[in-house]
Amino acid sequence: MREGRHVTSSLHTCTDEQPVSLSNIHSQCVNEGPGELSLVIDAEVAQRACQEVLQKVRKSIFTIASVLPLSLLQVEVDVGGSQNGAGPEPALSVTIVKPAQIQIREVEDDPGSVKSARRRQRHNPSKQSWLLRLFESKLFDVSMAISYLHNSKEPGVQAYIGNRLFSFPHDDVDFYLPQLLNMYIHMDEDVGDAIKPYVVHRCRQSISFSLQCAWLLGAYSSDMHISTQRHSRGTKLRKLILSDELKPAGARARRDPLALTPFCPAVSGSGEHGLSPSKRTHQRSKSDATVSISLSSNLKRTASNPKVESSQDEDSSSSSDSLEFETGPPVRLAPQREFIKSLMGIGKRLATLPTKEQKTQRLISELSLLNHKLPARVWLPTAAFDHHVVRVPHTQAVVLNSKDKAPYLIYVEVLECENFETSSVPIRIPENRIRSTRSVENLPDCGMTAEQRAGSFSTVPNYDNDDEAWSVDDIGELQVELPELHTNSCDNISQFSVDSITSLESKEPVFIAAGDIRRRLSEQLAQTPTTFKRDPEDPSAVALKEPWEEKVRRIREGSPYGHLPNWRLLSVIVKCGDDLRQELLAFQVLQQLQSIWEQERVPLWIKPYKILVLSADSGMIEPVVNAVSLHQVKKHSQLSLLDYFLQEHGSPTTEAFLSAQRNFVQSCAGYSLICYLLQVKDRHNGNILLDAEGHIIHIDFGFILSSSPKNLGFETSAFKLTTEFVDVMGGPDGDMFNYYKMLMLQGLIAARKHMDRVLQIVEIMQQGSQLPCFHGSSTMRGLKERFHMSLTEEQLQLLVDQLVDGSMRSLTTKLYDGFQYLTNGIM
Amino acid sequence: MSQVEKRAGLLRRTSSSKKPLKEKVVLMYDEIFAKEDPAKNNPRFWDELFLMKVNLEYLESKLESVDGEEVQRIQDNINSLFHHCVQALGEEHQIKVVNALQTLCALFRGVHQKNKSASGFDIINMLMGFDKAEQRMKDLMERLDSLLCGDGSESLKSLCLKLLLCLVTVTDNISQNTILEYVMINSIFEAILQILSDVSSRGQHGYDAVVLLALLVNYRKYESVNPYIVKLSIVDDEPTLDGMGMVVHQALTEYNRQYKDKEEENQGGFFSTLTSMVGSMFIADADEKLSVQTNEAILLALYEAVHLNRNFITVLAQSHPEIDIATTPTPPTRPHPQHHLAPLMNNPELPLDPNLQTSNLLITFLKYASIVMQDTKDEHRLNSARLCLIILTCIAEDQYADAFLHDDNMNFRVNLHRMPMRHRKKAVDKNIPSRPLVCAVLDLMVEFIVTHMMKDFPMDLYLRCVQIIHKLLCYQKKCRIRLHYTWRELWSALINLLKFLLSNETTLLAKHNIFHLALLVVNLFNMFITYGDTFLPTSNSYDELYYEIVRMHQVFDNLYCMVLRVSTNTGQWKEAASKVTHALVNVRAIINHFNPKIESYAAVNHISQLSEEQVLEVVRSNYDTLTLKLQDGLDQFERYSEQPKEAAFFKELVRSISLNVRKNVSLNTLSQDVLLKEFSTIS
Repeated sequence: MREGRHVTSSLHTCTDEQPVSLSNIHSQCVNEGPGELSLVIDAEVAQRACQEVLQKVRKSIFTIASVLPLSLLQVEVDVGGSQNGAGPEPALSVTIVKPAQIQIREVEDDPGSVKSARRRQRHNPSKQSWLLRLFESKLFDVSMAISYLHNSKEPGVQAYIGNRLFSFPHDDVDFYLPQLLNMYIHMDEDVGDAIKPYVVHRCRQSISFSLQCAWLLGAYSSDMHISTQRHSRGTKLRKLILSDELKPAGARARRDPLALTPFCPAVSGSGEHGLSPSKRTHQRSKSDATVSISLSSNLKRTASNPKVESSQDEDSSSSSDSLEFETGPPVRLAPQREFIKSLMGIGKRLATLPTKEQKTQRLISELSLLNHKLPARVWLPTAAFDHHVVRVPHTQAVVLNSKDKAPYLIYVEVLECENFETSSVPIRIPENRIRSTRSVENLPDCGMTAEQRAGSFSTVPNYDNDDEAWSVDDIGELQVELPELHTNSCDNISQFSVDSITSLESKEPVFIAAGDIRRRLSEQLAQTPTTFKRDPEDPSAVALKEPWEEKVRRIREGSPYGHLPNWRLLSVIVKCGDDLRQELLAFQVLQQLQSIWEQERVPLWIKPYKILVLSADSGMIEPVVNAVSLHQVKKHSQLSLLDYFLQEHGSPTTEAFLSAQRNFVQSCAGYSLICYLLQVKDRHNGNILLDAEGHIIHIDFGFILSSSPKNLGFETSAFKLTTEFVDVMGGPDGDMFNYYKMLMLQGLIAARKHMDRVLQIVEIMQQGSQLPCFHGSSTMRGLKERFHMSLTEEQLQLLVDQLVDGSMRSLTTKLYDGFQYLTNGIM
Repeated sequence: MSQVEKRAGLLRRTSSSKKPLKEKVVLMYDEIFAKEDPAKNNPRFWDELFLMKVNLEYLESKLESVDGEEVQRIQDNINSLFHHCVQALGEEHQIKVVNALQTLCALFRGVHQKNKSASGFDIINMLMGFDKAEQRMKDLMERLDSLLCGDGSESLKSLCLKLLLCLVTVTDNISQNTILEYVMINSIFEAILQILSDVSSRGQHGYDAVVLLALLVNYRKYESVNPYIVKLSIVDDEPTLDGMGMVVHQALTEYNRQYKDKEEENQGGFFSTLTSMVGSMFIADADEKLSVQTNEAILLALYEAVHLNRNFITVLAQSHPEIDIATTPTPPTRPHPQHHLAPLMNNPELPLDPNLQTSNLLITFLKYASIVMQDTKDEHRLNSARLCLIILTCIAEDQYADAFLHDDNMNFRVNLHRMPMRHRKKAVDKNIPSRPLVCAVLDLMVEFIVTHMMKDFPMDLYLRCVQIIHKLLCYQKKCRIRLHYTWRELWSALINLLKFLLSNETTLLAKHNIFHLALLVVNLFNMFITYGDTFLPTSNSYDELYYEIVRMHQVFDNLYCMVLRVSTNTGQWKEAASKVTHALVNVRAIINHFNPKIESYAAVNHISQLSEEQVLEVVRSNYDTLTLKLQDGLDQFERYSEQPKEAAFFKELVRSISLNVRKNVSLNTLSQDVLLKEFSTIS
């Protein structure tokens, strides 16, 4: 009981048998913001209180409402224990502690307050017990928790669910983070109080969660009136997070080395200056050269993990006790915020340039500047694994087609790591490192032999032994991996002429037929995957058409980090000046439907793409790889969709075509349903992608539910189904078309079954929102109606047929495409 | 002696007219040039000397006037002066440092002026004394190094660089400057790099630093181990290399800008007579500002960097708007987390000028080359053009450079300057599409080929030009890069070149081996004919190649006749010519195969003049009956090597640069009134 002077330790007593989870308890025990960090409760008092409470629980369950959470905790222990036979988990201990703490509050701080009295009165024991059964059951998942949190008016239930959140897997809760935070911002105090401890707890644990929260809080607070916004809970929490005071409880638990190390802020802090390596300062370059060379020798071959930052870091982290007292600006979140800010800044500046070409060039040069600051402790929030960004291959970036804004697509090289908060930031490898080894040895004219060189100065490392495998050399040594095309001799000569011809032992002349050359040329041109011709007005088409695998390989080859085994390539679309909150909503609905269909085993195919909302008018999108828009397909290939399928996948009887067709149908069915349910509008060909496997993917959910572009009354059909689409499916009488309709029916039935899971997502987000998709009062009602709960399956089938027929015959779709062509030049 | 006094008197008279009173400093110089040790009577003599404003001219002329006999007498005193100069460099009093630097300048120059023929060792002896020379120069270099790297005044650093430039250029032939041996031992390479890596110091001293480096690298380049060569070749610090690139970039950009201004000015004035303008419009009034001579040193530096340092290649492609970009200046003293963040936060805002084209060093260099190559009559321009082509040769051989030259994602509009010519209109700048950089290189080569077919044939440049094209083609073949380039322009330029060689055979043969060039050109065609499948962008382009050859068959026929004639006669060109006959085998096969086919097609269809489409049709349908011979080593090339082929050129170039630098250093730097003013306020 050394640190028995504050709350943490008092709670510690409750969980004495789990010292490992100490940090967890630390981090969530104070849930009322930094002001209460100093809250001191005598250890013994607290302990007594806990025991009292526990006894009460054992004696009389369910009588006093505010004890509800505590009673549940017993059950939890059992359930948890059976699930994790290996031993008590941190999350488990949390559930124990949380309610206890609330109890302490009520008992110690204001035992007789009006509020708690009122609570006690309001609760109906029998109803509670019924609910409790549900809550206890294994069926109770995050989705239900969120739903009850939203619908229940009982503070006790809300508080319970707030506590219950701790026991769900992080990923499950993260899916509902927008809902949680929106409730926090816009619903009453009780809900907020229930949610906050969890959020604060998670923020302490994770930088990325902190930032995620801060961004979402900012975005969802923005619809409030400016005067209320400033003092709203959301804004306050956001400030608290951004002030970076929600550090892991390391600072307090510093004396406990076990709990401290993983979350020590000094580690992340020191990482920051670690990434401006000493060489960037103006040292003598001689020593620079040697330093970096020695580093590179460490890196070479065995470089399975990026080199840990130099000892400088370790020094500072070991002296972190002194750092603790410094009240500098927050550094824990800063690098990532700055990274995002730079990306947004680029977007803003691009928007001022008139032509695509200028934008592209500008983008490239801006990114090359950004590269100077990398690697750093920054990451792409859209990625699925932990990593550090090491380089932005700036020449690969493209500006996307947009009329007045300047969204752009960048590729980002990252190194995968255990944990981006604690793993050390990779050391910078200069752009030219990949070739650095060639320096002296190829210079016959510098007038010295290797011996001379080695002897002439000690500072110059001997390059001759240097066998860095990844140094690319001159043309002569270049190896090109090419697909084996023909094995006839002429072709070999053509390919390997350097070796074969010069050492021609036989003096017999080699003859080739001109016709062969010509044929090879056209064959090879046909063999190379079709690329779009470069168009300065549509720079993204070429970049997006290139197969992802190929792009990864190409960029990897050209990257100084490419040799590292944990190298990965990511891409992201940076949107500046666009509100992505609706996109996020659509993403959630799509993901929910996807999991519903998966659960119900309906082979509908959709591709939800990740959305990162940074504010009400900026964000990032995870691009769909290997996909180009139908507009680009039509414009660059000048073919009908069916002909394009034939060109890309082969004739109608081939395996490749058939599987592409099946993919097309399954994705069409999926998106038709989505378009119908969500009322997705603005479905022109620029907003529908086609991937390399034949799937279509709808993007841009800017007009969903109650909003439609310009209210022109266009696009009255349920979804977009052009004759071209039907042609790819094999015509309106084909089997595939029937399959399409059948899939839609199955999909609709499955979705109907789990309607609540979908509705809930939308409904919560409607709270306090000014988004156009919630315009009017009938949004939810309309959405609910489109699930047609009252219809029989036969009636549903009829409905699907009607929808399909209606969409096929729809003139408005055609009209809308014509309208888009006239106004935006989209084919 | 008396003559010197008179001169001193004359000098005096300009400032204060009547009295032939000598300045104190002049009196003190006189004391040095006396036999006695000047400090003998006045122990504070040296201290006082460096407090006086230096009278450079007097000191220099005094040194020049010393006779051989006298040298022996006063050598101790001069040694002593040198010694004290070096010591004064370590003084805190900056005026003393300034004066010491200037005095050293005068010493180096005066002694060399006097002893032009003397051996380097005599000069060293006279300045420092043999026994102490090593120590003195070590001290000097160390002091200069610490001045250059320290936090001292920028003007002082500038003066240090001037002194070094002065020292490096005192002899016409840098390799005969024996004192530089000490500069080799006591390297100031690191100081130069530091200047280049720092943004602010680069801005002020970058030019001098780069020129100094270029010259030092050329000291006894071919005879001994020059540590500057070795060190330059291994530099891999990005900010430093970027810095060097930036200095070169700025110098070339400035020239390009001036040229453009001048061009626009002239065009405005002479617009009506534009049609009558032929070529060289600026050479007549050789404007000092537009002299390419001043850029020879910069170009040499670029060459050395590209040639010696493979890391520098990346700098060529480093794209940036045309401004100086800060390279994360981090104070080295306090490693603190915030320091790194600072630059990230204040990401240098680039100016938002929509007209500003993103550029890089390579683009600027190509533009510069296009200007310089326009006219090669002047010797300096010829040298510069040659150096440009050598640099391009190095670039074309480099794998990494080729990779970004051909990078489809790095498209640029490069406005090359084209010589105004009677038979063609000036291309409208705006229509240039944005393309990979290699297109600009090819354009430049084509442009050179078509504009330099003249009596005074620059054979050497043509050879380099054709070889650059060849190297690029080899890369494309090797990597199967199908560049969308209008190859037709290249083909017709090459055919025209052959035509020119044929029609001027006799005049050209007197000076050049035209068969070598012809062979290279024919082999370029052979590359296209036999390996076209690996790098041509469309199948149509292969047909067009045949079309072009068939269309211009007369040129090839004549060439064949000519080389056949020469190779059957005995003479010095016999072998060279016979190589061309062998190389022509495929071209002739094509012509002999398709010509009859085309004629019969015309006859059958009763068409007198076939359209291009019709000929192409004939070509397409008759490939299969044509057999070609595969020739040896078409995709092989000789790698560039400076020694021995280019050694003489570089020697001359360095000499020319030395003279020019020396002239400019003496002209504008050593009147240091400004400097003294600065320090008088400091101290």
